[in-house]
Amino acid sequence: MSALSIIISREYLERVKRKSFIISTILMPIFMVGMMMAPALITIFSGPEEKVIAVIDDTAVIAPTLQNGDEIRFRNITDGLEAAKGNEDYDAILVIGRDAVSRPEGNISLYTRGASSMQTEEYIAAMLEKSIENRRIDAYQIDNLRQIMDEVQVDVQLSTFRIDAESESETSSILSYILGISTMFILYMFILLYGQMVMTSIIEEKNNRVLELVVSSVKPTVLMMGKIVGIGLVAITQILIWAVLLVACSVWLMPALLSAAAQDAADPAAISAISQLGDPAFMTGLFAWLVLFLIGGYLFYSSIFAAIGSAVDNIQDASQLTTVAVVPIMLGIVFAMTAVNDPNSGLAFWCSIIPFTSPMVMMARLPFGIAWWQPVVSFAVLALSFLGMIWVAAKIYRVGIFMYGKKPTVVELIRWIKIK
Amino acid sequence: MENTDNMLVVDCVSKAYTGHQALDQVSLSVPRGKVYGLLGPNGAGKTTLIRIINHITAPDSGTVTFDGHPLTAADVPWIGYLPEERGLYKKMRVGDQALFFARLKGLSKADAERSLHEWFEKLGIESWWNKKVEELSKGMAQKVQFIVTVLHNPRLLIFDEPFSGFDPINANVLKKEILELRDKGATVIFSTHNMASVEELCDNITLINKSRNILTGEVAELRRRFSDNTFELGYTGPTAALLSAIEPMITRYEITGTDRDGITRLKLSLVADDAVRPLVTKAAEAVQFRSFNPILPSMDEIFIRTVEANNLFNK
Repeated sequence: MSALSIIISREYLERVKRKSFIISTILMPIFMVGMMMAPALITIFSGPEEKVIAVIDDTAVIAPTLQNGDEIRFRNITDGLEAAKGNEDYDAILVIGRDAVSRPEGNISLYTRGASSMQTEEYIAAMLEKSIENRRIDAYQIDNLRQIMDEVQVDVQLSTFRIDAESESETSSILSYILGISTMFILYMFILLYGQMVMTSIIEEKNNRVLELVVSSVKPTVLMMGKIVGIGLVAITQILIWAVLLVACSVWLMPALLSAAAQDAADPAAISAISQLGDPAFMTGLFAWLVLFLIGGYLFYSSIFAAIGSAVDNIQDASQLTTVAVVPIMLGIVFAMTAVNDPNSGLAFWCSIIPFTSPMVMMARLPFGIAWWQPVVSFAVLALSFLGMIWVAAKIYRVGIFMYGKKPTVVELIRWIKIK
Repeated sequence: MENTDNMLVVDCVSKAYTGHQALDQVSLSVPRGKVYGLLGPNGAGKTTLIRIINHITAPDSGTVTFDGHPLTAADVPWIGYLPEERGLYKKMRVGDQALFFARLKGLSKADAERSLHEWFEKLGIESWWNKKVEELSKGMAQKVQFIVTVLHNPRLLIFDEPFSGFDPINANVLKKEILELRDKGATVIFSTHNMASVEELCDNITLINKSRNILTGEVAELRRRFSDNTFELGYTGPTAALLSAIEPMITRYEITGTDRDGITRLKLSLVADDAVRPLVTKAAEAVQFRSFNPILPSMDEIFIRTVEANNLFNK
């Protein structure tokens, strides 16, 4: 076995065998699902919070038509506004002026106790609109006008098809959006988490001086490469475990989802989303790119993290230098967020080529189905940048690991590159 | 090769870091099968020299010859290094860790395991195999580190302050092991500030001060050279008569004490080497002559005198 493979296997096995790895691999999906379900669970357990809205209706026709909602109860009252304000039973008082039907602007006011929620206000406004609309329709005194208007109204649902793709597959923008965001976040999480793991591990080695012993047996560059690759394999192991869990879950859940969607035939968006999700070619393609960009992005950023780790003595000193790596990753997130809204804009395109942001932005764009050469070019650029970055990192690392005591600046790191 | 009996020859090695000359034209030859002391004050450049010998860093100029050929990365498995700043992976089990380092030095897994068990047995630490390093005391971890250093049967061993952190009993065990390794043919470079252990273990030394080699030689020869013809004379009888009899032959003297039997001890320095015989004759005439022994300076004294003189000279 070569020294490199001995280092890699140590880095890999020491981490995978650790209890914390096993626990986090199992707990992370549970935690994620929990996070997604938490809001729903909270509302179920806390129950609906009913709000009582007192209505002072000078028109006398609107109030009876206001329908109570799940959380909103209208109560028609005859007290004056001041009396109602004093009554703690009312969460809000809705005052409808006499001319509200003909001229709603400025004639309808809502007095609330504490801040009212957007949802409450929207619900009240919608109820009022419907009620006033009906009053006005009635005012025309045309038979069946209500029915006519209902017939005139349309609700268009677009079924989008890609004509530039090889087969005219049905695509779902909403699914692409969700997939883009989630794969991008997976990438972000892994790059940051495992990149920093490389850094911490190097600092630890330097700090407890085991480094001197290792580099007396292998070249510093070999140690650095071994560490980056070993920790990278841990990341891949973790993501593969999750992928298997995900596939197992979807195989189990997919038929249920499909039949549920079939019953709810009115929603073509849901059907196309679910059928796309069930399309093996699409999903494996996406997963393959995810793994590739994960590896590329991780290697690129972990080289930067490795260089930083070698230069400092302890984690506290590293915080300043890590901004050099963290800021571009954050920018990647920001640009990826704009890219999911307009995946083919010039900004999105270039950010998905430039290596610092490319892994995140490209993953955000990929589910929308972009030209095949774009991820290929992006990946090639990323791979080449990684080679450049690891070369630079090795130069810094070689000098940095023997530097103790002082906290170097970025300028000093750059100077180290030039030392022969 | 002029002298093939040298395990390691360092020739005119210089190394500079930004704004700091760590080594300046340092040369030394380490004879095969000997214990070679590498001495010097803190910051003299010893660690840099050790790193160069370990092929961790490269010298700016000069050559290092290992076993008759220029030192390359391929020689690294033949070197065992115990750094001054000890460190092992804290979370790793002792056995796994020792195996890891042994395999990095090129041992096969089976060889490493066999050799490890032998050493663990020898030092009586077999029960530690599955312990994590963080569970060990400092001294225990040092023992593990010692095994890691010698496990792959290196031909050149480099110990940087090997006894620091050891209690006297374990330090003795270690000393015994180091000498045993030497007797089996290994060459040892031994860097320390503990001069007593230098006297005890080293055959030759080099003293480095301010990046330069300022003193090299065999320990016994150096101590003779630095003795300044100092002797201790034990006698009973009139001190005044003795002093007047030997006065022309000594440069300075000091009465160090009188013991219970009435024997007085006089420390004196002779004017010349050949004054020993006449001095003994004269002294025997004046007093009851009991003993006469040369006083060799300790390595401590040699170290301090040489470094201080060098610092004065280089001001």
